[in-house]
Amino acid sequence: MLQATGLSKSFGAHVALQPLTLTVSPGEVFCLLGANGAGKTTTINLFLDFEPRSGGSATVNGLDVAQHSLETKRLLAYIPEQVNLYRNLTGLENLTYFQQLSGQAPMGREQLLQLCDRVGLPKGAADKRVSDYSKGMRQKVGIAIAIARQARALLLDEPTSGLDPQASNEFSAVLNDLREQGVAILMATHDLFRAKETGTRIGIMKHGAMVDEFAAADIGHTDLEQLYLRHMRN
Amino acid sequence: MLTTIVRKEFTETMRDGRVRTAAIALLLLLGGSLLYGARQTRLLAAERDTARQLTRAHWVTQPPKGPHSAAHYGIYAFKPRATLATLDDGVDPYVGVTTWLEAHKQNEFQFRPAQDATSAQRFGALTAATTLQLLVPLLIVLLGFSAFAGEREQGTLRQVLSLGVKPTTLGTGKALGIAAGLGVVLVPATVLGVVAMTGLDRTTTDMSRVALLIVCYLAYYIAWLGLTLTISAFAKTGRVALAGSLGVWMLVSVLAPRFMTDVVRTMHPTPSAAVFAAAMKRDMDGGIDGHGGADEREKQFEQAVLQKYNVDLLSQLPVSFAGLSLEEGERHGNEVYDTHFAALWATFAKQERVRELAAVFSPVLAMRSLSMALAGTDVAQHLHFQQASEAYRRTLMSAMNGEITTKAKGKDFEYKADGALWSSVAPFTYEAPSVSWVVQRHVPALLLLGVWALGMMMMVVWSIRRMTP
Repeated sequence: MLQATGLSKSFGAHVALQPLTLTVSPGEVFCLLGANGAGKTTTINLFLDFEPRSGGSATVNGLDVAQHSLETKRLLAYIPEQVNLYRNLTGLENLTYFQQLSGQAPMGREQLLQLCDRVGLPKGAADKRVSDYSKGMRQKVGIAIAIARQARALLLDEPTSGLDPQASNEFSAVLNDLREQGVAILMATHDLFRAKETGTRIGIMKHGAMVDEFAAADIGHTDLEQLYLRHMRN
Repeated sequence: MLTTIVRKEFTETMRDGRVRTAAIALLLLLGGSLLYGARQTRLLAAERDTARQLTRAHWVTQPPKGPHSAAHYGIYAFKPRATLATLDDGVDPYVGVTTWLEAHKQNEFQFRPAQDATSAQRFGALTAATTLQLLVPLLIVLLGFSAFAGEREQGTLRQVLSLGVKPTTLGTGKALGIAAGLGVVLVPATVLGVVAMTGLDRTTTDMSRVALLIVCYLAYYIAWLGLTLTISAFAKTGRVALAGSLGVWMLVSVLAPRFMTDVVRTMHPTPSAAVFAAAMKRDMDGGIDGHGGADEREKQFEQAVLQKYNVDLLSQLPVSFAGLSLEEGERHGNEVYDTHFAALWATFAKQERVRELAAVFSPVLAMRSLSMALAGTDVAQHLHFQQASEAYRRTLMSAMNGEITTKAKGKDFEYKADGALWSSVAPFTYEAPSVSWVVQRHVPALLLLGVWALGMMMMVVWSIRRMTP
């Protein structure tokens, strides 16, 4: 579903992403671990065609993102570290807006409220302005948007950063649901625990390069932490 | 999708307290200036109507007297106030709207409202035109500065673009949403304007002028909207976009018109009133460019008259030489006035042309020029009225001199005419020029306003296609 082949990005002399090759298949959650500046967000930006790549290719469902920018974006849902919504609109109005912009048939109020319920948005919050929302609530609206769009692939950039443990746990549950429905998920995160819990594959990035890649089931929580720290120290 | 974007933009705009406050303030200003302008138009039209009837009554009820005395008694001509002057006073407060038509002289216009203005009005009067040309663009800036820059700063632009929305669709939706917000101010203001102008004399205003004025304002606002959205598409943050847009507004709305006034004055200077009057007096006394003084002209004229009537002495003429001489004096005076005023008006035309071409740098200059022109209060239409009133003066003087020539043989200035002569002179009527006459004189401003609107639309499309989240 998501495929990078020799994908690279440089800003002048600075290499942000060394040639990267990865595949995220339907029903797979690929977690990118790494420190700030490792190249995780750059990878996501290149899949979104927000920046021109320097080399290689990135495809979504076999379509090159640079050549089919709008088509590939319609197959994707993106949840950034901070889900930014329109503060003067309610959660439901935001959800309606983003859902309708994605080109899907408009969903009714009841359907959208059910979605809010599914992602754990407190009762009554959907009709309140987003300016009153906590970060966790905004993230939940972000997930609701992704579900409403019926995207075939999800790009998540530090989605659990700043969430309390309960909200993180609820978030993981929703991701598992989506994975089981065959959605391909690429998630950049610092959260080793969440990567192990949610991911099916894990890649460790450092200085713009993928330094390690393995199946999440092949490693325990403690081993993952030690492996990660070893890579960071080297 | 477009409707979704427009609806969302409009909803957000209407929920923004700052925008609501600014819109209400602008609506009050616009409404106030329209109502005040309409009241002034109604008042001035009534005053001028009364004065016109009074001056006509004074003319026709003159007691028996010499026609030349009647010519010196003269008559006032009043420029009718066009209905659209409610929106834009133009140059009327500075050039006056009344002139005294008398023998020998083409008088300056009198009763300039600016002369009666209080010192506070040196800061500029608030008219509907000022609000429409300067303050509505400020509202557009307020509505549009954050369209892209604000969303970029908040991170929502990134999310919207990640949905696969075409940037041009997003831009069009935003532009229409902002336009809808602007409509909340302009539509009630237009209704108010129509209501305020109800009952005013429509005969002075061609409806095609109204239609063209609306088209011009639409183009003007499209240019401002395009400018604001272009800046917003490039700016990193909302604050930068706001500062940039306000800077451009200050430059093109406040500084450029003042700067151009100085440039125009330097490029095409006009003489002071005193110098102008002295030059005319010199030519009046000594002939144009010193060719032929009064005595020399008198002698030449006498010879020409004697030759024409085939007599040797003035006393043998079948008509009054005094009448002929007065008419000749008028002819010479007219020649001098025409020469000097033609030069002055040519300078005014050059100044106007430079001012309109300067609209390359500022759409405000084009809009200001077109607003005055379509309201009937620009320099060209002032001169049109001046020419019409001068033509009437010449007809009046010819009628008086003709009466002396044909009926005062042997009596000359002792001859007395009665009411029959005064009534035989038709009252002064004035018809404002057609819209096509106005358009012909403002082609550069119209074209440049169109270029601004089209250019800014193209700039928006170009900038949002290159926009980064």
